[in-house]
Amino acid sequence: MRPRHPRDPFWMMLPTGTLLAVFFFYPLVFAAYTSLFRWDLLTEPEYVGLSNYRVLLESGELGHAFLTTLSFSVIVVIGSMSLGLALALALNRPGKFPAFVRGAIFSAYVVSWVSVALLWLWVLDPSAGVATTAVRALGGPSIDWLGNPDYALYTLALVTIWKIAGYSMVLFTAGLQDVPRSLIEAAALDGASGLQRFLNVTWPLLRPTTAFVATTSLILSFQVFDVVRVMTQGGPVRSTTVFVYAIYEQVFMNLRVGRASAEVVVFFVLLLGLTLLQLSTWRGKPKARA
Amino acid sequence: MWFTYGGRNREILEKLVARFNASQAEHHIDAVYQGDYYEGLAKLRTAIFAKAAPTFSHVVGEVIPYLARAGVLQRLDAYPGHADFDIVPELGQEKSWIGGAKQPLVALPFNRSTPIAYFNGDLLAREGVSAPSTWDELRALAKKLTRTAAPRRFGFGCPISWWFWVALVGQAGGQVVEADGKLSLGGSAGVEALRFWQTLVREDGTMRPPPGRDYNAWEQTNQDFLAGRTAMIWTSTAFLKYLEDNAPFRVVAAPLPAQRRRAVPTGGTHWVILKDAPETQKASAWAFLRFMHEDEQAIFWATNTGYMPVTRRAIRRLEREGYYAKHPNDRVAVDQLSVAQPWPWSTELFRIDREIVQPRLEAAVLSGKNAEALMAEARLEATRRE
Repeated sequence: MRPRHPRDPFWMMLPTGTLLAVFFFYPLVFAAYTSLFRWDLLTEPEYVGLSNYRVLLESGELGHAFLTTLSFSVIVVIGSMSLGLALALALNRPGKFPAFVRGAIFSAYVVSWVSVALLWLWVLDPSAGVATTAVRALGGPSIDWLGNPDYALYTLALVTIWKIAGYSMVLFTAGLQDVPRSLIEAAALDGASGLQRFLNVTWPLLRPTTAFVATTSLILSFQVFDVVRVMTQGGPVRSTTVFVYAIYEQVFMNLRVGRASAEVVVFFVLLLGLTLLQLSTWRGKPKARA
Repeated sequence: MWFTYGGRNREILEKLVARFNASQAEHHIDAVYQGDYYEGLAKLRTAIFAKAAPTFSHVVGEVIPYLARAGVLQRLDAYPGHADFDIVPELGQEKSWIGGAKQPLVALPFNRSTPIAYFNGDLLAREGVSAPSTWDELRALAKKLTRTAAPRRFGFGCPISWWFWVALVGQAGGQVVEADGKLSLGGSAGVEALRFWQTLVREDGTMRPPPGRDYNAWEQTNQDFLAGRTAMIWTSTAFLKYLEDNAPFRVVAAPLPAQRRRAVPTGGTHWVILKDAPETQKASAWAFLRFMHEDEQAIFWATNTGYMPVTRRAIRRLEREGYYAKHPNDRVAVDQLSVAQPWPWSTELFRIDREIVQPRLEAAVLSGKNAEALMAEARLEATRRE
């Protein structure tokens, strides 16, 4: 389609372009620039070259934040996808009750992160929380879910899985409904068992959906902040200091704008890599569902 | 004016602001809530940079040297009547910091506190025990008050936080910064302080480190105490009225015990006026600060919250009127001022706290890492930092 006037596409893009320029491109370029300074907003910035990056690398902060975020992401992506797929398989059937259960599960995804975090703080209270009491009633040990540096990250990952599993469930349900019934019936007629039908027919056809769910969950889990801020504040012993929380801490707690900006730049490069991965997956699968 | 606390303290401050606005027609103060101390500070800094800062605010003591060096604070000694406040020296700039009197006056005390010990008074009476005056006594009492059978109760609770560690360092005979300005982090006293926590948490199992960090950990400590899950806690005197009002038992407050000596740091916030605010608004801010330092207001604030009255006049009046005889818990922090240790006038100390010491306190207590090695590492990092 050709525009009536050659300038039409440009002014139509102007509102979005302006928003992107002001709230995305300018801050990013500004962050890249300020990452070369020692600056606390109040005193004169002092040019330090790549020193902020060097300090972050040498202190191990960057590596620690990256590994923590990666561990968190791996658990969340695998956990939420498996649970989402299992729920989709169980609930992909007509009727009011399955629809109600699907709605109930998806509702967690709609609730704000802060509310979810506060709710789970109660559930996981090490003295009187429902989860703790249940484990104790079953003869298990008293677990300090959020106070033990060995468990805290996994606990946050479980909370995140609980919240976003509904999202993968809905996408997988849509993917399942796209699988032609004729193929499944043909496989059944050929004597394929339920498991064989799933492994050889349904699962290959779900691949594009899986790729989409995996990449979006990965990006979402890389951006985790709210549950950390509300439930553990990056502790105990920095065991839950994920990337975005590390940036927050640098700029708001330690008043180091330059160092936070350096982290922003590194984080941007990481997310860019993830997005490229997503795009390459998508471009290879034109029939995939968005 | 920006302020940074919610709950009961917010209500009391808002009442005082309303009282000021009603008491005269010349000035009007708008009080705006800005989250907790750290959130408020982050917003204040950003607002100063964006030239949208309030006329005045209250900020935590540890960042005042930093704000003063940045040149954003108004000198207050230029205003009339600043010498007449009769401020308690340990709570004002004069003795809150080493050499505070030599610096230009930029801060006036507002909500000032020390850590104190709180006890479940009913439990103390039932067990026939009293508040400990040494670390050894505290350890023994924590053992006695711990109950391992359900419902479980810990003998002692305290946020794993820099402020309480500094108290322990002082009690062990050390100081975070030496008299010559060298940052020692207490030397062997710093290690001893950390080991004491390790002993209570890991060896004796009589202290539960609260989950969460910063003020979440403080809140958790309070909740454990109120719910009877902890028999005695260390926290700020700021929570005195809150704990007294909400505990289903009698709350008994006591000074912190000694190891080699008695010592406590002071905490809380000071009022500051921002230099770049319009002169007329700064004059209004000053009028409000003068109002807040009058006996009526200083007393209203202190007796409704648990913070200390910031003027000697107000303390004398409470004494004279028999308030302290009737409310002995309110006296604990005021009496402890005799062993209060001033902070160094340092622009970096708050970062040393957050970036170097605090993570190691948690690592020592929660992961059981060697306290001596951790503190040596912290000292090295603190002294070679840029």
